[in-house]
Amino acid sequence: MQKLLLFVDRVSTFAGHFFSWSIVGLTVLISWEVFSRYVLNTPHAWALDAQIMLYGVMFMMAGAYTLAAGGHVRGDVLYSFFQPRTQAAIDLVLYVLFFLPGIFALAYAGWVYAADSLAIRETTFSPEPLPLYPFKFFIPLAALFLFLQGLVEITRCVLCLRDGKWPSRVRDVEEVDVDKLKEMVHVKDEDIAKLDEFVIRQEQKS
Amino acid sequence: MKVKKELRFGFALMAVILTAIVVFMPWGHLTSGHLGLLMLALIVVAIMLGFPTAFTLMGMGVFFAWLSYRSVDPSLAVQQTLDLMVQRAYSVMTNDVLIAIPLFVFMGYIVERANLIAQLFKSIHLAMARVPGSLAVATLITCAIFATATGIVGAVVTLMGLLAFPAMLRAGYDVRLSAGCITAGGCLGILIPPSVLLIVYGATAGVSVVQLYAGAFFPGIMLAGLYIGYVIVRSKLQPQLAPPLPAEERVVALPDFARAISETITRKALPGLIAAFKGKRNVNIPAGRILGQLAIALLPALVWFGSMGFVYNSVTAPAEVVDVSGLVEMGMETAPEALTEPPAGGVEEPKAEGIQEPPGAESAAPVTEAEGVALPPGTEAEGVSEPAAASAPAERQPAPLAFWLVLGIGTAALLAFYALFTFARLEIFKMLLGSFFPLAVLILAVLGSIVFGLATPTEAAAVGALGGFVLAAAYRQLNFGVVKESVFLTAKTSAMVCWLFVGSSIFSAAFALLGGQALIEQWVLSLNLTPLQFMILAQFIIFILGWPLEWTEIIVIFMPIFIPLLAHFNIDPLFFGLLVALNLQTAFLSPPVAMAAFYLKGVSPPHVTLNQIFRGMMPFMLIQVLALVLLYVFPGIGMWLPSVLYK
Repeated sequence: MQKLLLFVDRVSTFAGHFFSWSIVGLTVLISWEVFSRYVLNTPHAWALDAQIMLYGVMFMMAGAYTLAAGGHVRGDVLYSFFQPRTQAAIDLVLYVLFFLPGIFALAYAGWVYAADSLAIRETTFSPEPLPLYPFKFFIPLAALFLFLQGLVEITRCVLCLRDGKWPSRVRDVEEVDVDKLKEMVHVKDEDIAKLDEFVIRQEQKS
Repeated sequence: MKVKKELRFGFALMAVILTAIVVFMPWGHLTSGHLGLLMLALIVVAIMLGFPTAFTLMGMGVFFAWLSYRSVDPSLAVQQTLDLMVQRAYSVMTNDVLIAIPLFVFMGYIVERANLIAQLFKSIHLAMARVPGSLAVATLITCAIFATATGIVGAVVTLMGLLAFPAMLRAGYDVRLSAGCITAGGCLGILIPPSVLLIVYGATAGVSVVQLYAGAFFPGIMLAGLYIGYVIVRSKLQPQLAPPLPAEERVVALPDFARAISETITRKALPGLIAAFKGKRNVNIPAGRILGQLAIALLPALVWFGSMGFVYNSVTAPAEVVDVSGLVEMGMETAPEALTEPPAGGVEEPKAEGIQEPPGAESAAPVTEAEGVALPPGTEAEGVSEPAAASAPAERQPAPLAFWLVLGIGTAALLAFYALFTFARLEIFKMLLGSFFPLAVLILAVLGSIVFGLATPTEAAAVGALGGFVLAAAYRQLNFGVVKESVFLTAKTSAMVCWLFVGSSIFSAAFALLGGQALIEQWVLSLNLTPLQFMILAQFIIFILGWPLEWTEIIVIFMPIFIPLLAHFNIDPLFFGLLVALNLQTAFLSPPVAMAAFYLKGVSPPHVTLNQIFRGMMPFMLIQVLALVLLYVFPGIGMWLPSVLYK
């Protein structure tokens, strides 16, 4: 069971990682376009459409990855103070109530939307048109990944309800990785612990 | 069951909302508008439960949109709901405002990894050594600059917690004051442009991000200035909170040649170097070395005369001089104050280091100027204008008196600067050159090109990200691992924000469909509020929402409700946005969700309690409220720059 869950985690993470590289493409493309327009004086009509597509694909495909990494923003007034079982119960109910229907609808609607676009071989509205339908197919694709990841999360909730603790996840880079930051500025735990004497001294004075 | 203390606040809030629903809903005759309000109340409750907000919004929006369509025509309801959904999602995917978010986020991560912060803190701290509460002031400045460049609150607070907090504690600073400086300073990045918050607001409210950036610049600097002023005054009045550094901590280690010169010839850098160059009195120092140092020492003068020469050129050409006074006023005001951008209140003796600011301001100006020339004269003149001062009206042809005045004063200041420019200060200056100026130039270049209309925010962000690469490479921190991590983190952060947008745009469509918006408008108008009352009410609601919710949620869910109301009260959405951005600073510092406090707690010694940190943040929250009032009373602080540039 745990193996299957981690496998889906890895699939989502891989898809997310793969498409997140488009940010580098985006940076280079726009910088080049700026250079090309201001210095070489040859703007490209397709550049803006390509930028939009790179951006859209990146964040859509990172949706499932972010869910797998627990990166979607949560209201945190109560949640982090709950017991794991309470957390799992709330999550379970809301995944079934909000998440699954919403994402399923998005996947279905996106499929129809993209298929319509494919039927007419839709292109961008520009003197140098790019095909638009592959871009639209990313809506159902991203929703599909999210749906799968959602099922995994639901299973996790059930496991947590049974065991009273959250099953493990795939490790991923963190925004604030304290250990890495400590290393970056060469601060060790002992140094921090040593500081305590200053705090205590202050407390005694007051 | 015994309820934990931490949970009380949340449950109480929820109870209030639910009771309000039960009491105020006209249960007998529910219109669809009431259904909309019910949805709004439920969403707040659901968000507080802690389910990922994006999907809560999406799920609830889909359900209520379906309800709304069904009440009109049950046979089409499902199809219409699906269409609405996919169109909303697609519109977020093709949103040309939001596209700047991943780029700015990416720039932030790369700059963070360039690992400049330790050097930045050290050099600013040495430069500020004589100001009361110098460490705290240096912390605030470092935070402001680093947070502006990276925009990642968590990382800035953590890093400063590792660097500045130990330094302050060791120097005997008050725990609360130190904690307050770090947490408040770390949050400045979400206000001072280029900030993601303003992009999100711009995308939600349909306000130009460019104008928001121009508008938020001075309020951001004002807030930083107020913080710094507060710290200086407080440590002057209660020196026991922030004892001055012992002399030995302030000593700057000189390299051998500099020590040799200052012992044998003079401690002043410029005459010393020149005298040593002649080689009569000093041996053993290679000429190339001295030349190099001389070049660095002369840099401020070069930049000053260079930019003045440039200004002279454009002044005598038929164009305006708006900028001249701007540049110098800035230089002059900062002269007694060292590197803080805004005048931050009472300071003692003028300090030599202060004059290093002009080069900072100016070195960025030529960048924008150079490109500005390509544009029509109108924009060009503004291309130069580094903020402040509308005082010098445009005069033409032979260089106006103001120019010579400015040149004279600036040159005098420069001379004074060199008179005080010892070898120790040369060392500090070199450190600043390696840490402060690259970041300042990067920020000002990105910001300048956006604000002066040379590039769209998206373009500036992309070029800024590239600049981040160059910076990281220059500091030898660029490797595949760093890029990879930044890329992945960028994807996660953008996915978080953009999926929230997908959810909220479906949600707000449903809200409007149900007529909740109309009902709220009716209700607000029936209250007969004056614009002032409305403004206070709105800001108060946002302030309160900041306690349980995060800024992203507040903006994407509640701004669509507030924005349509603004027209009734003749409030500029741009101005409203600035107030909101300032107001949401408090969302980071208000317990219990104060992220900043938890990040700091994570790296502080065990005896520092969360309560101490919270208490340290309180004065800074009060300053934020004060800043809010100031901005409201003097809208010019925010609106002046956009009105000069874009009207």
